Amino acid sequence: MTAIELRGLTKHYGDVTALEGVDLTVDEGEIFGFLGPNGAGKSTTIDILLDFVRPTAGEAQVFGMDSQEKTLGVRRRTGVLPDGFHVYDRLTGRQHIQFVVESKEADDDPIDVLERVGIADAADRKTGGYSKGMRQRLALGMALTGDPDLLILDEPSTGLDPAGAREIREIVREESDRGTTIFFSSHVLSQVEAVCDRVGILRAGELIAVDTVEGLRDAAGTEARLKITVDGIDDDAMDAIRALDGVSRVSLSDSQLTVAVSDGSKTAVLSALEDRGVTVHDFETDESSLEELFISYTEGSA
Amino acid sequence: MSWAVVAKKDFQDAIRSRALWGLSAVFLLLVGGVSVLYATLDEITGGEPTAVGLIFFVGSTIGLFVSVAAIVTCYKAIAGEREVGSMKILLSLPHTRRDVVVGKLVGRTAVLAVPIVVALLVGAFAGTALLGEIAPVATVLFGVVGLLFALTYAGIMVGLSATTGSTTRAAALAIGFLLVVEFLWDIVILALVYVANGFVFPTGTADFPAWIYPVSQVPPSSAFVTSLTAVIPDAPMQASGNVPTAEAFDAFFATPWVGVVALVLWTVVPIVLGYWRFQAADL
Repeated sequence: MTAIELRGLTKHYGDVTALEGVDLTVDEGEIFGFLGPNGAGKSTTIDILLDFVRPTAGEAQVFGMDSQEKTLGVRRRTGVLPDGFHVYDRLTGRQHIQFVVESKEADDDPIDVLERVGIADAADRKTGGYSKGMRQRLALGMALTGDPDLLILDEPSTGLDPAGAREIREIVREESDRGTTIFFSSHVLSQVEAVCDRVGILRAGELIAVDTVEGLRDAAGTEARLKITVDGIDDDAMDAIRALDGVSRVSLSDSQLTVAVSDGSKTAVLSALEDRGVTVHDFETDESSLEELFISYTEGSA
Repeated sequence: MSWAVVAKKDFQDAIRSRALWGLSAVFLLLVGGVSVLYATLDEITGGEPTAVGLIFFVGSTIGLFVSVAAIVTCYKAIAGEREVGSMKILLSLPHTRRDVVVGKLVGRTAVLAVPIVVALLVGAFAGTALLGEIAPVATVLFGVVGLLFALTYAGIMVGLSATTGSTTRAAALAIGFLLVVEFLWDIVILALVYVANGFVFPTGTADFPAWIYPVSQVPPSSAFVTSLTAVIPDAPMQASGNVPTAEAFDAFFATPWVGVVALVLWTVVPIVLGYWRFQAADL
C-alpha cells in the first residue's frame, strides 16, 4: 500500500512554475525526507496533498484517496505540522489540542499530548504568550493528536534549538515504530539524513533525485576531491587536467588546486601535473559529503 | 457536525476580543442611558411611555451597534486566518471549507448575540423598574428579530471576508459596505427618485414611486427596524431615513414584511458568494 502517490504533479502560478511533473511514491511505514532549498516547491506539494492548493496538472493521492475528491478522508488519516502556520493567540494550549480531539473525534487526553511535546506546564496559558519554539511544539502536538497514519512535517525544526530538533527526531522514530508513515520536509539535510529511510531532492519545482540515504552517499562517494598544493602551475597544465578522463571540476586558489575526480583517476592527475613540470608539495583527498552533494544538486552546478 | 466544532472554537476565540468588550460596554451604557431618557423625558413619548415603546427606543441603538460590532468581530474571520496561516491548521483537520464558513458564521453570530441579549435584559429591567410594566411578547419577538439581524450582519461580513486572503482588502470591503449601504443609502435613494422623476426632484414624499419603498429597505439596519414593526403587535410606526413607512404606498410589496425579506436575502446572498470564492481559492 502506498501512503503518498504523486503523478505528473504540476502547479503554475501565472508564469511562475512552482512544480513541474513531479512523480513520487512514498510507501506506507516509510520515513521519507523531502529536501530542497526554500522556494523549491516543498510546501506547494504539501498544500496540494491537503487540498489547500489545486494542481494545474497531474494528481496527488494519499492512501489511494484523491486529494481533491476525498479531502476529508485524507485529513482524517493525516496529522500536519504546517510551515508558516499561526496558532490562535487567545486560546490556551489545552484548548488547541481539545479542538483537534473534537475535530478528529479522537479520545486523546490533551495533557498527555502536551506532556509528550514538552509544554504540559503551559497547558492553561494563552498561546499569545508562547515562545516560537513552544508554538512549534504545540503544532507538533496537534499533528500527533488522534494517532494519524500519515504525519506530514513541514520544516518541523523551525524555531527550535538543537535539543528541540533532537526531540522531534525522537518523536518521529517513535511514531514510525507505531507504523506511522512520515513525510518530513526540510531545507536542512542533516535533520533529514539522521532519520529518513529515503530522501527526495526537489529543485525549482522538479524532483531531481530520489534514493535511500546510503544510495545518495554512495553516489557521492564515487567522486572524491583531490586537494593538491602546487608550485608553478599554468593555464596549459590546468587545461590538461581538465581534459583527463574522470575529472569533472578543476579550480585553483593561491597555490591550492582542487580537482573533483572519480576514484580511479587520482594517480593520473598527479602524473599529469608532474609531466608538465609542476611541483606537487602535498596532496590530500576527501570524500564529498552528502551535504555537498545536496548543495551541488540544488545549486545546479555541474 | 464538523461545523459545530469549528463554531465552538471560533466562539471561544472571538469572544475574547477586547475590542468587542469595549464596544459592548459603550453599547450597554447607551442602552441604559437611552432607557432612562425614554422613561423620564416627556418630549420623547408625549407623556405616555410604554414598555413596547421603550423596546423600540432601545432597538434604534442596536442597529448601529450591530453593524459596527459585526465589522470589528467578523472582518478578519476568514481573511485573517488565511493571512496569518492559522487556516493551514484549521483546514489540515477534517473540516471542509463549507464547514469553516458555516462554523465561522454561527460562531461569530453567537458572539454578537451576547451583547444583544444583555441589552434586551437591560431594556426589560429598565421597563420594569422605571415604568412598572414589561412587554414579554414584544421582548421575545424583539430578541428573535435582533438575533436574525446579528446573523444577517455576521453573514455579510463573513461573506466579504471569505472573498479575500488580505485583511486590508477585507477591511476596505467591510467599511465600504457600511458607507454605501448604510450611511449613504439615503443619497442613493434620492438619486434614484431624481432620475426616475425625469431629473427633477419631486415636490413631496407623496410623489415618491412605490418601488422606492423596498429600495429603502436595502440597508440592513433599516430592514431590521421595519422587521420589528412587522412582527411586533402594537409597534409604534417609525420611518427610517427620508422614505415614508409602508402605509404611504399603494402596492402589494409595500408592507413591513419587506424588511424581513431584505434581512433574509442579506443573510443568504453574501455568504453564498463568499463561500463560492473561498472554495475555489488557492490558500
